[in-house]
Amino acid sequence: MTGAIAKPGAWIQVVLETESLRPLIALERWQQHLALQYGTLPAAECTFVGRVRGTNAHGKALEHLELEHYPGMTKAHLEQLAISSAESHAVRAVVVHHRVGLIAPGEAIVLVAVAADRRGPAQRCCQELLEALKHNAPFWKREWCGGVGTWIEGNTPW
Amino acid sequence: MGNSEDLSEGLTVRLFASLREQAGWSERIWPIPCDSSSTPADLWSSLGLGQGPMPSSIRIAVNQHFAAANQPLHRGDEVAFMPPISGG
Repeated sequence: MTGAIAKPGAWIQVVLETESLRPLIALERWQQHLALQYGTLPAAECTFVGRVRGTNAHGKALEHLELEHYPGMTKAHLEQLAISSAESHAVRAVVVHHRVGLIAPGEAIVLVAVAADRRGPAQRCCQELLEALKHNAPFWKREWCGGVGTWIEGNTPW
Repeated sequence: MGNSEDLSEGLTVRLFASLREQAGWSERIWPIPCDSSSTPADLWSSLGLGQGPMPSSIRIAVNQHFAAANQPLHRGDEVAFMPPISGG
């Protein structure tokens, strides 16, 4: 589940990962694509990696986090959010990798990276996009503790 | 309401996460008259998805785009009811 959108202002890539997300490998591949796209890598990059917590909100050990999504809509909506943030901050490129399915504690669940000509737009775009996807992209989390799954509504504090 | 019905004669309704498990189904075809002025809010009540009006926390998508509860629906539309989102 991958694809890239080349726009005059920004290069957008969104990937839904069903098996595993290895942020450093994904970043290196993205940088290679950027180097091919732009010749020279943009001067500023901001990266966020989110991982599954080891415990739930009540302190119980988490066995797995399950991520459900809406096939078709989730990826398209992530692309819209990325394009909107990229245009708002006039950045050069955005990449989002998001896991779906069962994820173990400590494993990466999301990678957001932004390349821009300056650190300010890169950081602001990364933060805005992360919050947008947490609240507006169709994903649903279920925490598994002691063999019991509990759907989580809403997000952890910022 | 079986999936063998002609899709053009009705709506495809999809439920996700906790809503799907509470209802016991994930997708069904729901008939809609040609001249219908049905909305997602009407559909929620017709399907018996909850007691009373649809909670404001429920998100709606029509043809895989977020939509309002009062958006008019048409034959062939795909309507999704979604519990609060928790991504990232």
